[in-house]
Amino acid sequence: MSQAELERRRFLQLLAGGCAACLAASGGFFPVLAEDPAAAGEVRAPGDAGLAPRKARWWKKKDGSRIECGLCPRHCVVADIERGACGVRENRDGEYYTLVHSRPCSIHIDPVEKKPFFHVLPGASALSLATAGCNFECRFCQNWEIAQARPEQVKSATVSPEEIAALAKKNGTPAIACTYTEPVVWSEYVYDIAVAGRKVGLKTLMVSNGFIEEEPLGDLCDVLGAVKIDLKAFTEAFYRQQCRGELKPVLQTLKRLAKHGMWTEIVVLIVPTLNDGDDEIRGLARFVRDELGAEVPVHFTRFHPSYRLMNLPATPIPTLERVWQLASAEGLHFVYLGNVPGHAAENTYCPGCKRMLIRRVGMATLENRIRDGRCPDCKRLIPGVWA
Amino acid sequence: MSLDHGRRNALKTLLFASLASSRLARAVAEPGPSRSVVFRARREKLLAAAGKVDPALLAAAVGAAVAGALGEGSPANGFKKIFKPSDVVGIKVNCIAGKGLSPRPTLVGLLSRWLQDAGLPPRNILVWDRTDRELTRAGFEINRGSSGVRIFGTNDEYDWKPREWGPNGSCFPRFLIEDVTALLNVAVLKDHDLAGVSLGMKNWYGAIHNPNKCHEDKCAPFIPHLSAFPLIHDKLRLTVVDAVTGQCHAGPGAAPKWSWPYQGVLASTDPVAVDAVGWGIIEDRRREVGLPSLANEKRAPSWIAAAGKLGLGEADPARIRVEEV
Repeated sequence: MSQAELERRRFLQLLAGGCAACLAASGGFFPVLAEDPAAAGEVRAPGDAGLAPRKARWWKKKDGSRIECGLCPRHCVVADIERGACGVRENRDGEYYTLVHSRPCSIHIDPVEKKPFFHVLPGASALSLATAGCNFECRFCQNWEIAQARPEQVKSATVSPEEIAALAKKNGTPAIACTYTEPVVWSEYVYDIAVAGRKVGLKTLMVSNGFIEEEPLGDLCDVLGAVKIDLKAFTEAFYRQQCRGELKPVLQTLKRLAKHGMWTEIVVLIVPTLNDGDDEIRGLARFVRDELGAEVPVHFTRFHPSYRLMNLPATPIPTLERVWQLASAEGLHFVYLGNVPGHAAENTYCPGCKRMLIRRVGMATLENRIRDGRCPDCKRLIPGVWA
Repeated sequence: MSLDHGRRNALKTLLFASLASSRLARAVAEPGPSRSVVFRARREKLLAAAGKVDPALLAAAVGAAVAGALGEGSPANGFKKIFKPSDVVGIKVNCIAGKGLSPRPTLVGLLSRWLQDAGLPPRNILVWDRTDRELTRAGFEINRGSSGVRIFGTNDEYDWKPREWGPNGSCFPRFLIEDVTALLNVAVLKDHDLAGVSLGMKNWYGAIHNPNKCHEDKCAPFIPHLSAFPLIHDKLRLTVVDAVTGQCHAGPGAAPKWSWPYQGVLASTDPVAVDAVGWGIIEDRRREVGLPSLANEKRAPSWIAAAGKLGLGEADPARIRVEEV
């Protein structure tokens, strides 16, 4: 790989982490580590020599040396020396291993609004990290260079869960966010990070596609602080054709999160012509209202061409506004637009008195009027994780 | 293994010995091979005691199969027919299972030598697989130096721009795009838990960055389309299967319980036909040892017929001629 290409990849990975501004100063896509190299192990170049397999959870033995993964609804049956669809879990002599525990490929400090969480610690930062891997293959993946890669194909560092928590504390972030790729496929690491974070008073947030089985989800719900689910669309056809996934298990996850009482926000990337139909949006909004509650925030975000979906334009703003109106008309209380900096639909308004509660521009929270979880004007309870 | 150690004279001697064999003489005397001929060279005692390969018999078998497949009297002459001296030939090996169920470095060394005899400079020969580690574990010696046959894994040296190839999109090795002008596929004869069998076409999973995204539906939608992708299809000249040892069950990893000394080599310019023949060999062995057929295990390699329908070659065993050499 040429130096220019290395720089390009590094730049893209930085963008994936939303820290392009750090590029010049960071010396890599581990700006946090670059500033504090003693905080954790060395950053390792791509290659399989540095893989450090660790016994995985949530799987069972099948006949012979085969195993069945129970982490996500794919239930990959994996033969010896093979990996699951995620590319980060491998059968070795009939035992299943995760190859990415404590091997992040990206660590940044981001505003929580970038995830986006609009009802979780507004204005706060989160130490945000990812390992390689994903159990979907979305044609529009924004972070495909790490999400669609195998662990040996990306640069990685050795950072234990305790070191992640210590880094977050040291950098003054009240939260840790497992994000960028698909945390479900590195659930063991997510779990251990959340436990380590909780010991030092940090919340751990997960940004996920929600394609996870009940048992691991339940285990994670015991330790996580909040979850954001990417609801890719509201049709099986979209999930099948654009993501190589399934809608039904994701809806099941959303219901389970609600049952667990986990604070959950939903993001829907609106891809023009593919998931923006009136009926689809109405159906989605009704599902949220009826099954999860009208108070669950739903963010409709703007698509930009990426990865394998380059033939569509960025979502027109009027399309997003139409979608916003449809969802609001179905009775959802907190409908937002994303990737449209400066739009009024980035703000939080009180469903009671309609006054503005939180003013945002892009990822920046400019004003937060919520007091003790309530509207300061009409005293209505505003749901969220405010402290 | 270094492929540049001077074994030229010894190998030439062995090759002449193989040419003298009546079976090969008979094969090359017949009319030129069609696209759907698979040349099979089996030699008793190819695999001697303690699992050691007899190098002379191996050279004879590989030479006979390759020469037969290319319709020439010697493998070097055959290679002259399908490669130009200016070509950069990528020899794709399948080393995921490690030593014992990967193409033998000795066999690849023979091919490399004959390519040089056909006029290709050593630097124009590139032996590759997914990673350095897999190659090393299979007994290859990595060479990224400025001289000699190049041997290395792709590692992360992909062209990080996804290319669509039917049901999927993938990044391909930069050297495959920019450097390699012709391909020689060197596969193994083995069972595959999902795909049914892993022979030549399945080996191309090692050319993409995301093989883990290509296992749904028993690999059926993926293997033919990947094999048809121009970067592969338009460059592929010959498939050679190292069938000295086969494995009829519990693949793709090595499972000695199910391996057996087939003591042979397959070669064909038809990538579908050679896989179809290999599948038949594996089914025969499964019957011999009392295993159910792959169809009974619901993992028959339907992708072979699909590849035939795509026009990549002949999938119907009844229309494939197996030439014993």
